[in-house]
Amino acid sequence: MYLLLTLIIFSRLLNSKTPGEGEGRSEMWWRSASFIMDRQQQQNQGDSSNPNISAYYETRAAHHGVVTSDWLAQAQAAIGPEPQPQPQLSPDPDKPFSVIDQFNSWRKQPHLAEAVAAIRALAAVIRSSQATTMMQLEIELKKASDSLKSWDTSSISLTAGCDLFMRYVTRTSALEYEDFNSAKSRLIERAEKFGEISYKARKVIAMLSQDFIFDGCTILVHGFSRVVFEVLKLAAQNNKLFRVFCTEGRPDRTGLRLSNELAKLDVPVKLLIDSAVAYTMDEVDMVFVGADGVVESGGIINMMGTYQIALVAHSMNKPVYVAAESYKFARLYPLDQKDLAPALRPIDFGVPIPSKVEVERSARDYTPPQYLTLLFTDLGVLTPSVVSDELIQLYL
Amino acid sequence: MPDVQALVNDFVNLLKKRRIEGSQATAKQTAVLLRSVISQQRVPHTNQATVLINAVRAVGEQIIDVNPIELAVGNIVRRVLHIIREEDLSLVTDAVAGFGMFAGSDDEDDVERDDYPALSAASVAAAARSTSRPPSLQTLLEDVTDSAVVPPTPSSGGDSEGISRTLEKGSSGRKLKHDVIEAVNELIQDITSCHEQIAEQAVEHIHQNEVILTLGSSKTVLEFLCAAKEKKRSFKVVVAEGAPRYQGQVLAKELAARGIQTTVIADSATFAMISQVNMVIVGAHAVMANGGVIAPIGLHMVALAAQRHAVPFVVLAGSHKLCPLYPHNPQVLLTELRSPSELLDFGEFSDLMDSATGSGSLHVVNPAFDYVPPNLVSLFITDTGGHNPSYMYRLIADYYSADDLVVKQRPTTGS
Repeated sequence: MYLLLTLIIFSRLLNSKTPGEGEGRSEMWWRSASFIMDRQQQQNQGDSSNPNISAYYETRAAHHGVVTSDWLAQAQAAIGPEPQPQPQLSPDPDKPFSVIDQFNSWRKQPHLAEAVAAIRALAAVIRSSQATTMMQLEIELKKASDSLKSWDTSSISLTAGCDLFMRYVTRTSALEYEDFNSAKSRLIERAEKFGEISYKARKVIAMLSQDFIFDGCTILVHGFSRVVFEVLKLAAQNNKLFRVFCTEGRPDRTGLRLSNELAKLDVPVKLLIDSAVAYTMDEVDMVFVGADGVVESGGIINMMGTYQIALVAHSMNKPVYVAAESYKFARLYPLDQKDLAPALRPIDFGVPIPSKVEVERSARDYTPPQYLTLLFTDLGVLTPSVVSDELIQLYL
Repeated sequence: MPDVQALVNDFVNLLKKRRIEGSQATAKQTAVLLRSVISQQRVPHTNQATVLINAVRAVGEQIIDVNPIELAVGNIVRRVLHIIREEDLSLVTDAVAGFGMFAGSDDEDDVERDDYPALSAASVAAAARSTSRPPSLQTLLEDVTDSAVVPPTPSSGGDSEGISRTLEKGSSGRKLKHDVIEAVNELIQDITSCHEQIAEQAVEHIHQNEVILTLGSSKTVLEFLCAAKEKKRSFKVVVAEGAPRYQGQVLAKELAARGIQTTVIADSATFAMISQVNMVIVGAHAVMANGGVIAPIGLHMVALAAQRHAVPFVVLAGSHKLCPLYPHNPQVLLTELRSPSELLDFGEFSDLMDSATGSGSLHVVNPAFDYVPPNLVSLFITDTGGHNPSYMYRLIADYYSADDLVVKQRPTTGS
């Protein structure tokens, strides 16, 4: 399944990289199965991700991508002759240890958050470390954490997860454990249980949000967030009667994925194209969004379109609720969209784009805190002004 | 000594019949009742805090459901639960300190040292520290203890030391209950004296020759204005009469009796008068966690008028009115309907009313409270000083424990 989605991603890359190909004969050639196979082999031999494409959103697109019938036929024809082996989770013992390889293998699991994958990669660093003192271990972890963060600077939850774990390591060494080995095993144990903490965080957020979902309400959802889906799933399990409007979520089409999942739960769903948000905001009672990151001012960084929806909801007096785990709190203070490091992704317009036309390919936007009503986190229900207080307590 | 359940039933009856009016009186009566519950509760030698917490929580469930709109009842229940947790934590910290000294002085015994290879007094104190605070980013990766208190350290040594430890535990149980009752007494004293503490700040906010608008009647507002009068401030008060109960007329009478220049206006005259007003000072029924205010009916209109004319809107609220809940769907859930007799005379309209014979077409609605969103409030004045609406979460984090936000044992499914 992963190989299938990888082929689809590569096809989309091709589509955006060669927009000028208008001749029928050349177009037939680069859409053929043999060209896809050749292209994939070249990509594998290169072994380095394209610097223009954000690895974070590449993985998200792989998890959330919707398979069209055209590409499905092409990919099945391509896979048929030579099935590829599955990537191994455990690293090759001959190769030297690499924290980035560990992170990549954990990151590919669809239900695992990025921060959890980062912390588990750092736990692997602790496990394979030859250090004999806490200071030595901290230095090694610091190097591994810095290399992880610089590998994908556009991922905010990766940076926040690494910072949170490094902060915990610093405070653990300050507690003056009597034995180094017990401290080391404690660090490994806590890092391994962080995935469980993340899963519990979603449960806590879902429980906290139930009071705000009342019978007969209509909820607008943008983007596919695991936490928001957990909130809606628990409300459906509690026999609440509500309706969900999903935005289409171009170019990832995350709304199709979410509407499929909600339809399985027998929740009434209406799918909107992205420009239909203002048109339907009259019927909406509240907006629910997830967050890629929560910044220090209380604003959020989320999938492109969130800021636009928040502006519309604010002008029409609809509450905007954000469901986010607390480990996504990041020490960033953007004042506008350009303060963020760009996270680019390929965009498929369906037709070739002339080379003179510039395309905005940013994958996310920043929503200031004055447009957000409440944040549902595992620390409790927070107003946006609480976020800076939490971060001050952590890093002071 | 009367039975606890009889006391609870008496309190429930008073709440049902609305004999206790106002947040302050309700909060005080609730605190007195919970003090009786704590003093009559038998505590075992182990897990004293858990037994007290369960007793207070069981009584709290009964009295909160009687009048869900009277949020002061739930506030005081949560405050008392927080007090129990804090007192127990301070006792545990003292015990940990004593145990640390005991372990340090016994250098010759190697067996005792082997019993605690990984833990030290510092780590136990850190674990105890984390139980008192609400969940935060710092404690995200820490171990969470499910019990309300840190488990007691195992006793060691000979028989004589064991007997002395048993005596210490007995006195520790009684000391916890005594400390909790003392703290609840302080809470009752704070509720009683919150008027004076708020009134002390009057001179900082009311200036010479100002015109102040208020609506309805509030004892806190009355004391606040009279304190400014006593400090030789010369100002005028415009009182909206607060239909349909006309509590503003009561307030105007008291203000005039104390020599304050007073003008009475109808509620609908608020927008006409707001341009001449320098400040709006009002009381509140409850202050929600996001800084919104549950206030007497008509106050949302006053707040909108104040915002329209850039007049500061000041809310006076004692700390017992701080509610850790968030107003989800405030227009529907957080209001109380009062008797239609306050609006219409039954004798004149009884034939037209739809409630009497079922055939009439006249329906009367008399809501008691408004919800004022936090963006309309300029300043909160509590007994600890002036605060921004966005600062309310900090006060609430100081007064309440995170575990007590849901007082019920099991969350109800569905709405």
